Amino acid sequence: MPGMWWVVGATVVVALVAVYLIWTAGRVERLQDRAQLAARALDAHLLRRAAAAAVLAERRFGVELYAAARIALDAEPEEREAAENDLTRQLRSVQLDPTDADCEAVIAASRRLALARQVHTDLVRDARSARSRPLVRLLRMGRRHTWPRYFDIDDPTLTIPAADVPSR
Amino acid sequence: MRIGIVCPYSFDVPGGVQNHVMDLAEALIGLGHEVSVLAPADEDSPLPPYVVSAGRSVPLPYNGSVARIAFGPVSTARVRRWITRGDFDVLHVHEPLALSLSMLAVLSARGPVVATFHTAMTRSRMLAAAQGVLQIVLERITARIAVSALARKVQVEHLDGGAVEIPNGVAVAKFAGVEPLPGWPGECGSATGGTLGFLGRFTEPRKGFPILRDAFVELARQRPGLRLLVAGPGDPDDLFNRFPPDLRDRVTFLGLVSEEEKARMLRSVHLYVAPNTGGESFGMILTEALAASTTVVASDLDAFRRVLDGGRAGRMFPTGDAVTLRATLSQLLDDPLARAELTACGDQVVANFDWPVVARRVLEVYAAAIEATDGRVIDQEWVGLT
Repeated sequence: MPGMWWVVGATVVVALVAVYLIWTAGRVERLQDRAQLAARALDAHLLRRAAAAAVLAERRFGVELYAAARIALDAEPEEREAAENDLTRQLRSVQLDPTDADCEAVIAASRRLALARQVHTDLVRDARSARSRPLVRLLRMGRRHTWPRYFDIDDPTLTIPAADVPSR
Repeated sequence: MRIGIVCPYSFDVPGGVQNHVMDLAEALIGLGHEVSVLAPADEDSPLPPYVVSAGRSVPLPYNGSVARIAFGPVSTARVRRWITRGDFDVLHVHEPLALSLSMLAVLSARGPVVATFHTAMTRSRMLAAAQGVLQIVLERITARIAVSALARKVQVEHLDGGAVEIPNGVAVAKFAGVEPLPGWPGECGSATGGTLGFLGRFTEPRKGFPILRDAFVELARQRPGLRLLVAGPGDPDDLFNRFPPDLRDRVTFLGLVSEEEKARMLRSVHLYVAPNTGGESFGMILTEALAASTTVVASDLDAFRRVLDGGRAGRMFPTGDAVTLRATLSQLLDDPLARAELTACGDQVVANFDWPVVARRVLEVYAAAIEATDGRVIDQEWVGLT
């Protein structure tokens, strides 16, 4: 009975497609969630660095650094990248002494921020590439989330480890 | 912190990745963390207490050499059981793109995953053919570490992602203060004596042994008492046939050496020479020579330049140039002050590669991965960073 084989074949194909779609939807969802959590961690590290810089500015270095830190803390989302880059520039322009506790706090916060930024960028890239697949776009999977956005700032690392010093 | 580390290659055979995993695990335990290492190993082989065996490994040709790895349903079950029982805060896998325990662990993991990439495979057929499959593996990794600039470049260019560059560590304590071999390094005066060292496969062209041989043969004729100490795999006859008969008694061949003998060998020479012509992604041997407080002369490859701090911690010569190498060697052998200056700087440089220092940087990556997985920030104290 060739007719029955058609039915069996079609059922198997439909089942496989369904499994694939459910799996893909789960994957897109998972990547989006991850990018969002990474953004929260990044936000927390940005606040920590700005707070550490403000504490340092109150004790040493003075107004300009303090202003940069305050602006970074209070910045609206659309101005935040520029404000954070300003703070990085301010921190680079002062002579930080690693033996001083407040300076060390700023250096450590910057180092952790650099890692958070790296991880966030990678996870956003994964989420975006998953969302821009044609099938995912067609079926509008993951539409409950906003389109994952990069946070585009310069590398905030302050002290360069000896091994990474560029040649000559 | 509870840390699970997966090593894809068997501890029954020595290798760079295996050493890296063991040293990292010991450094992390030294910093007060709970570490469990999963690796393939034969049932009866002696293992450090923190290693859990994932069963026997099978030899499989991979990336130009033979790797002993474990893969399959039995290994999958063991990996899952280990992950469930371990209840780790973070899972750290090494070389996750090889068909191995590491890949199985990544696919079974639920929490934060940190991956370290060791090899700098520039154009792997596997990478090109299986991009879609590898993407599924890569997507489950939270943070990536590359051990060299080259390995990082592969990440950026071929795998479309960034990676934090954290160099290989060196257990400085295992090299510093080790006794030299009896009778070495001997005298080194002005225009007489001195000992040169070479470690590695002398038959392999990219290790650059012929360049050192040419420089040594020329220099030995002008400089009575100059000796050459060679260690590494290879046939002694093959080595001695490369030298003119009158100079053969000034060459000593140790053959393949253990880790302890390697440290003693490095302490037994006045100058350690690395004449490599390429293919070196990090230059582990240079950090080891620096840890042994031995003066280093190396070809000016990028990887070496980075380890030697642009030439401050060791003298560099143009890659492949035996004539300049000979002049450099002659000048340094005659000048103990210059040697002392280089080793003093080398001691400072190698402190950045000491395992406890490197392990702290790895811990920061663990913290970043955990934070990115549950969206909260971890205190420095909890990670043991203060």
